[in-house]
Amino acid sequence: MSETTQKLRDGPNLDKENVVLEVDTLRKTFGGLVATNDASFQVEKGTITGLIGPNGAGKSTLFNLITGFYEEDSGRVTVNGVDVTDAEPHEVAEEGLIRTFQTPRKLEGMTVREAMLVGAQDQIGESFVSLFTRPGEVAEQERKTLEDAHRILEEFEIGHLAAQSATDLSGGQMKLVELARAMLAEPEVLLLDEPVAGVNPTLANKLRDQIARLNEQGVTFCIIEHDMDFIMNLADPIIVLDQGSVLVEGPPDAVRNDDRVIDAYLGGPGE
Amino acid sequence: MTETDARPSVTSDPRGYWAALTGAERGVAAFVAAMLVLLLWGLVSGGLGPTYFMYLVGLVGMYILLSFGLNVQWGYAGLINFSVAAFFGLGAYGTALLTATSSPLTGGMDPILGFFPVPIVGIFVGLGLAAVLAVVIGIPTLRLRADYLAIASLGLAEVVRLVMLNQRDWTNGSAGLRGIPGFFDVWPVIGDLPQTLPELRFQELEVGLPGVWTTRILGFTIGESFWSQTMNVLLVTVFVAVTYLVLRRVHQSPWGRVLRTIRSDEDLAEALGKDTYSLKMQSFVLGSVIMALAGVFYAHLNLFVSPGDLNPINTFYVWIAVILGGSGSNRGAMFGGFVIIAIQEGTRFIGGALPESLPIDMPSFLGFVESTYTTVVDNFASTRLLAVGIIIILVMRYRPEGVLPPQRELIWPSAARTADVSGGVVTGSQVDDSPGPDDEGQRAHDGVEDTVHDADDATDDVESTGGTDAADGNQPDGGTDATDGADANAGDDATRGGDDDE
Repeated sequence: MSETTQKLRDGPNLDKENVVLEVDTLRKTFGGLVATNDASFQVEKGTITGLIGPNGAGKSTLFNLITGFYEEDSGRVTVNGVDVTDAEPHEVAEEGLIRTFQTPRKLEGMTVREAMLVGAQDQIGESFVSLFTRPGEVAEQERKTLEDAHRILEEFEIGHLAAQSATDLSGGQMKLVELARAMLAEPEVLLLDEPVAGVNPTLANKLRDQIARLNEQGVTFCIIEHDMDFIMNLADPIIVLDQGSVLVEGPPDAVRNDDRVIDAYLGGPGE
Repeated sequence: MTETDARPSVTSDPRGYWAALTGAERGVAAFVAAMLVLLLWGLVSGGLGPTYFMYLVGLVGMYILLSFGLNVQWGYAGLINFSVAAFFGLGAYGTALLTATSSPLTGGMDPILGFFPVPIVGIFVGLGLAAVLAVVIGIPTLRLRADYLAIASLGLAEVVRLVMLNQRDWTNGSAGLRGIPGFFDVWPVIGDLPQTLPELRFQELEVGLPGVWTTRILGFTIGESFWSQTMNVLLVTVFVAVTYLVLRRVHQSPWGRVLRTIRSDEDLAEALGKDTYSLKMQSFVLGSVIMALAGVFYAHLNLFVSPGDLNPINTFYVWIAVILGGSGSNRGAMFGGFVIIAIQEGTRFIGGALPESLPIDMPSFLGFVESTYTTVVDNFASTRLLAVGIIIILVMRYRPEGVLPPQRELIWPSAARTADVSGGVVTGSQVDDSPGPDDEGQRAHDGVEDTVHDADDATDDVESTGGTDAADGNQPDGGTDATDGADANAGDDATRGGDDDE
């Protein structure tokens, strides 16, 4: 096709190069309700891809399908060419697809630092036997992870929270910690589910700066967000979901002014 | 950082050590000390036979093991297991069926090849049975939410008990298995030790101020039965110590950390790439095997097992021990096990020690006071469930996290110590410097105020020092001292209920 990515297009752009996450005709029904209706889209490496849509458009369901928390009725998900359609959530994560949750998950009885350390992947010390057979390696890896955790917390300007109880954080701080923890996992793609929902504007700006910074370092993002200012200033391209499938995809300005998008949000004619 | 920064050693600086303890730790230490004084008095005054005393110490050790086991499942991973008694019973029956003279299966095996003691095989049989059952029940339930395991395990406990009761060809049914040898009875050399050790006779003494108040003390003999109970105590001390060392290593590690994450939020653990099913299974099997170890010990302590030992009440005693002590904390589990025995046996003795009728003559219209008193004293032993109930209500109301909640960060101690982390390694103050995952001074987390306090301290640190190695100066001292206290206690005091420090 000759269309450039600068223009808005009907449905998803499926001709991207360097695709890191590909969703192919995913379908999920809950009883009679079609939550995800043959949705397809691609996330290109190095981008921040925004995923927007009115309430009930199926954004969170899509995330849960991609990350293995829901079983899809049909369709395919691949990460870097690896099929993860039927994988367990932890197997999806091992392929480099890390997600955050809409409501931040608090870890009872853990400090921020401990909560961070859980994000690290491929830990020798997570094998019961290795704790006894390879204690030296465990210690070495743990030391490195701990230093990384502190470094990342410092980069997020929340180093002072390291020793604080994870349950004492504000919602915004928790979101920052979640993002920081996800970075410890060194993900290929980071799926963020409403990163600034319920976060005050100052912290939201901070989050946006952090996401932009990480993106410059080469992390690919796919973000669900309702806050239009936030997502429009951050993501490109924007994918608009409506009624379980992709309505349009394009750059923020084009999406913002598109009648169909406005109709979808305001409950216009549609179908 | 925290006031526990350079934790004083209990040996070189007892006063400083005491000052560094949290309120709860002092309370526990005082309680345990008071119990020990009471026990010693009972021993000296002849109210408590020395052999029976050693038997009680053995039981404390057994409850500590059971609490350890449940703590691994519930305290670490949040798994609700209501079949503690079943795994305990499998351990007990596993070894009993092999060694008991009345066993319908083996009729009491002779030492293998003439010298290898069968109880050692019994350990493996008991633990193996428990591990297999844990896997079998874990496969269908651990993939589901926590409640399913709770329900399934509740049923499992009854199934196991009823099998023991009704499968007479194998287990003798309700008659139970008699003639289990002591653990060391059939060992070469060691087995004869109780007979060969000298008999000690303590003459009865009259002490006190003549004419004012006197009492008779001592007047008992320490003989063969005492020595064999002492060997049981040594055995359970080894079991507890080994279990404790294993648990300490695995808890403060990435493994323990992921389990705590699962306990808190399983979806999050999955999203972070952790195979929660596998980890839950590991924790479930490990806990069950520890429970079975307690069962093996019980069989050789009590020399008789019956289906009554698998009654559900035993499961709930262990639950109470863990909740009371503090879920997720090993020393809490020790304390809980100790308290359970204190209640079970204490109610028995207090009932006997109280005067049978009210020592004051009441006017006749207050006769109901007298009759109530008599009823209570006559049935004092049955107040133990009441006592347990009241304790649980009080703990839940005033200290839902338990008396000695976990206070450590689950970070591999040697790594936490050596990590070069800006703002001062706060873990440096909490971690000792012996190799491997070892003891550490405690985080001052003792409820919410302290948590906030901790955070403030951390902030202060960053502001005041801003340096890289701010805390380094303090580390070696604090660490070493913590270890001293810990190692002495881990071995020696394990059976007493870990009174002061882990």
